[in-house]
Amino acid sequence: MGLPLFDAQSDPGPSFLRYAELAGLTRVPDTTDLSAHATTVVAVRFNDGVVMVGDRQATSYYVANRDVRKIEAADRYTALAISGSAARGLEFIRLAQLSFEHYEKMSDAALSLEGKANYLSPLIQRNNLSSQLVVLPLLAGWDTAHQRGRIFEYDGAGGCYERQDFSVIGSGSPFAESTLRLGFRPDLGRQEALELASLAIYEAADNDPSTGGPDFVRNIYPMMVTLTVEGFRELDQETAKTTFQTINDRRTQSGGVAGGTLR
Amino acid sequence: MSNFFYVAPEQLIKDRAEFAQKGIARGRSIVAAIYDVGVVLVAENPSASLYKISEIYDRLAFAGVGRYNEFDRLREAGIRWADGTGYTYSREDVDGRALANYYAQHLGDMFTEGQKPLEVEILVAQLGNQFRPTKLYRIAYEGTISDEEHFAVLGGDAETIKERFATLEVGHLALSQTLKNAVSALAGPDRQIPVSDLEVGVLEDRGDRRTFARLDDDEIGRLLA
Repeated sequence: MGLPLFDAQSDPGPSFLRYAELAGLTRVPDTTDLSAHATTVVAVRFNDGVVMVGDRQATSYYVANRDVRKIEAADRYTALAISGSAARGLEFIRLAQLSFEHYEKMSDAALSLEGKANYLSPLIQRNNLSSQLVVLPLLAGWDTAHQRGRIFEYDGAGGCYERQDFSVIGSGSPFAESTLRLGFRPDLGRQEALELASLAIYEAADNDPSTGGPDFVRNIYPMMVTLTVEGFRELDQETAKTTFQTINDRRTQSGGVAGGTLR
Repeated sequence: MSNFFYVAPEQLIKDRAEFAQKGIARGRSIVAAIYDVGVVLVAENPSASLYKISEIYDRLAFAGVGRYNEFDRLREAGIRWADGTGYTYSREDVDGRALANYYAQHLGDMFTEGQKPLEVEILVAQLGNQFRPTKLYRIAYEGTISDEEHFAVLGGDAETIKERFATLEVGHLALSQTLKNAVSALAGPDRQIPVSDLEVGVLEDRGDRRTFARLDDDEIGRLLA
């Protein structure tokens, strides 16, 4: 690859995507093969930011992978989670991470959180309308300009919607969503939000075969992430283990039923 | 009826070189130096928003003197090249030497074949790791490339500043001492450069993937104190 120089008319500016298209770096998906997919990731707003919890399983006809990372830091203050085709999703995260950094270096200023959210829309639209390998991401971050946590969800055509409470993506959504609907309050603290989000993933894993729950045999637990004024923080697997162990113990004691309460 | 004038190639090269040197000499200089644990780039730059030093990649930085629009396009091309290479292959495969070579080819082409040579002198700084050395690649307007193990000076007044800096900077020192030496070499014996007129960027490992940092006036003041 030579030096990518452009004259003033054809210069792609600070957008990595436009540059990548001009330079032919983006590959157009053309396979319709079934590939590993499925997920449940939830994001919940609390009074000092956003928590995200996501399962770790990739599923095709059988379990393809047990320790996939479906939540990644898109940059210091933003997390991006994926559901749908694993191949396209991981590529999607890579492209988003690179795009945000590219913009920052080119123009010496970071994109606003809303700017990042809007940037993803055409990416999703293009991917989903041109391929059967559908990807649906979830963007959450700490808005440094407005000093609050924000969640953006997308529909299959790339529509971007901000959520004030919580958002869920992936095949286990109905179960996770129900749990969050019953447990969410606008004044949740960090710990409460983490516990609620974990319970939602537990319920999803319990009912959806494509969502992986806590794996006490292999010591693999769902990813837990917080986005606050300190930026993206991933909690260690020990913390995740304790959280899920508590839920699991309660559920064992009650004989497998929630018993009409969030437990 | 048209007239053809013969111009000897020696004369053509000489004229072009003079033209480029004149353009470069108009601007202020930049000192780049390798200190004990990183690389520091110091520019005298009264503008707080039009930068001469910037981040290219995880372990690469760029500095340019001369015509702003010309070196800024090279800076952008460098970022695109680095991000494009890292995206296509791996982040590890982005190499400062390769980028410096592309710059050298482009500047060389512009010098011999362009409408006019680019009036710039640029530098690619690489912070080393287990795979690559810490190096300063200096590329002149006509495409000459040199790799420096210790320090490099860009700009019209380079020779004088280089001598001043060489007498001060003995071995790889700590950041604050190297910065002091660079600023005093840039200023010379007869004047002081106010902190607000300094632009400083460093490449240093702080545990993050990205190693570039721009120092603000407070930090520069503290290091110079």
